[in-house]
Amino acid sequence: MTRIGVVTGPYATAIIVVALIFAALALILAALDRPAGLGVLAGGAVLEALLMIFAVGGVVQMVGSGHDFARAEFVGYLLGCVAIPPIAFAWGRGESSRAGLLVIALAFLITPVMVVRVQQVWAGPLG
Amino acid sequence: MADRDGHPAPVSTAHGFGRVLVAVYGLFALAATSRSVVQLATRFHEAPLAYLLSAFSAVVYIVATVSLGRGDVTSRRIATVAISVELVGVLVVGAASELSPEVFRHPTVWTGFGSGYGFVPLVLPFVGLWWLRHTRR
Repeated sequence: MTRIGVVTGPYATAIIVVALIFAALALILAALDRPAGLGVLAGGAVLEALLMIFAVGGVVQMVGSGHDFARAEFVGYLLGCVAIPPIAFAWGRGESSRAGLLVIALAFLITPVMVVRVQQVWAGPLG
Repeated sequence: MADRDGHPAPVSTAHGFGRVLVAVYGLFALAATSRSVVQLATRFHEAPLAYLLSAFSAVVYIVATVSLGRGDVTSRRIATVAISVELVGVLVVGAASELSPEVFRHPTVWTGFGSGYGFVPLVLPFVGLWWLRHTRR
């Protein structure tokens, strides 16, 4: 039976797309010097939910797999994925100016990098 | 307290552009810390020097993040020291990894002047020191 992995399949791609869409929204609002608003907050919540499922699915995928890869790093990147958006929102919302939005945009932009790193660690040899 | 232009002084390093700078520092604190925890826990014996450097860079990034984020007078001094150490670290480790790559086969954040992280580790200390100067008044 071929199973589509959470980490390697279209689900991961969907996370990247969602993150980039909301990164664009946050950057546009920052450029217009508008407040963050509900759209950005909702985007953060949606992304965080997707990332939690991604992390749980990733661990399940890891446990069910026999192949040799850097498991500690893999789990570390999955935890990082889940941790970054809430920290960024907490820090970014401490400031109502455009800088706060840029912090949140940074979190949205870094998420695709983290997802790709998870995939690289999954695919790559130890090292 | 205000200076003669009516601006409050001293200016906190944690607001405006500083908000974003602290976030970037926090990201590197996270990256360097998790990398060094994994390295020290799973394969310290393979490259003790590189992995201790990883741990050292993690501490420097954590101190810089926290002190820039607090932004009071004492924190500003601590931040200046931490970011200066960071600058020396990335330059020395960067140069050393070019001169004797066999010692640095195992990467740290500062290896190759931070090439593994888009050279952000090389640019960051300059931006950090500029920001400390800019907010000093």
